[in-house]
Amino acid sequence: MNKIAITGLGIVSPSGIGKRQFWANVKSARSFVKKITRFDASRYPSHIAGQIDDLDKYSNFSERLLKKIDAFSHMALVASEMAMQDAGIDIKNEDPNLVGIFLGNAIGGWLYAETELRDLYIEGREGVSPYMASAWFPAAPQGQVSIYYGIKGFSKTVVADRASSLMALGYARSTLAKNKLNMIISGGMEAPVTPYALLCCNTYGALSRNNERPETAYRPFDRDRSGFVIGEGAGIVVMEPIERAKKRNANIMALISGYGTTCDGFDRINPSSDGRELARAINMALEDAQISADEIDYISLDGLGVSLWDDSEVRAIKTVFKDNAARIPASCPKSMFGNLLGASGAVDLIATVLSMENNLIPPILNLENPDPKGLNYVQGQAKDYKVGRALVISRGRGGINSALVVEKP
Amino acid sequence: METKAKIKEVIVNLLRIKPEELKDGMSLQDSIGVDSTEMVEAVIALEKAFGVKLSAKEITKSLTLDEISSIVDSKIGK
Repeated sequence: MNKIAITGLGIVSPSGIGKRQFWANVKSARSFVKKITRFDASRYPSHIAGQIDDLDKYSNFSERLLKKIDAFSHMALVASEMAMQDAGIDIKNEDPNLVGIFLGNAIGGWLYAETELRDLYIEGREGVSPYMASAWFPAAPQGQVSIYYGIKGFSKTVVADRASSLMALGYARSTLAKNKLNMIISGGMEAPVTPYALLCCNTYGALSRNNERPETAYRPFDRDRSGFVIGEGAGIVVMEPIERAKKRNANIMALISGYGTTCDGFDRINPSSDGRELARAINMALEDAQISADEIDYISLDGLGVSLWDDSEVRAIKTVFKDNAARIPASCPKSMFGNLLGASGAVDLIATVLSMENNLIPPILNLENPDPKGLNYVQGQAKDYKVGRALVISRGRGGINSALVVEKP
Repeated sequence: METKAKIKEVIVNLLRIKPEELKDGMSLQDSIGVDSTEMVEAVIALEKAFGVKLSAKEITKSLTLDEISSIVDSKIGK
């Protein structure tokens, strides 16, 4: 299948809004996991998160629009605008029929939904905003971005738990490879720092309860891991066929060259401990990219920070990469800002592209005593390293496995 | 306050737009591009403001401020 160019990056994350700020913080290994301040979350078992407090400063969208949409759509709009600016795209000059949008989301826009459901039970049906119908559902950001920019090509929202956005990127690539569109805006967004969404995440049972020391709470692949930490944000990229990107002299930052996805089909929450299906997804991505396992220079780990997930992920990597697993640098920058659930894969891809661009791999924060051992984890501080080809892994509840190969142009 | 001025105030506040954006003689769709959901919201807000029951069907037609004002006046018996 054709390789597809990434020509623009848009990032809204707890570690920063915009790729410069995000990268400056990520490469410095600064934690942005804090106690939740948006509402009183103190009685939740886990009340820490990666939060975004200054979105409005980066937003040019009207009050009239913002009152109709949830925070996750707002984040997607800001990230899309940034991605297109970064790509040098003026959407007004594009044929709208040849522009698509593929986004991933896991849980929907609960801040809006919760407020309106409260009004429903207090005031009755007349108290509910008519925008409720279009504000909360997982495909709402796709719709809002499409309307805002007049996008009319093939578009889709993927809902596949934490694997949603990497899957959206994979599908966007296959769609572009059919040569029926000129460009696709792709990635994901998530806004789980709300009372109900936080409650649901807590009942999942895998969040860290290290509320006293938030900055050290998310520690994937560490012996003293205590679960993951949620975060909010959006990661969106502009994707184009290489020929078109070259023709318009775009800055081709990276190429998406392979994608694979499988399901464990094992349990509704947990993955299979053997990592076999994740290994198959990685092999599918490598085969699709027409490269062998020893040509991968860097692995961006899913890193849930839960023993069963970390163990099975390492097992899958060892199955695919064999002795090389101990050599290839592997990292998980989301340990600094939280797991952005449906947006996590896209944010991991953006961090990987920035690693390629800067020849620098950010570390896994809080990794002191690796467990399981056997991977070349990047610990402590960012490591100078030339990354030519990278593998990005993203996994969802119940064993949804997603793997994407990205390479330097 | 005159009915038309009050309707204008309700819609301007509701949509968080500048008063000058809402033009006389033009329909709400043509002057400020209201969509169907905004129109539903406007009907609810006008019902609250004037204490009358309005039919969404009659308001959601392409009406100007003057025409909406006449409908509201007829409901409140002006």
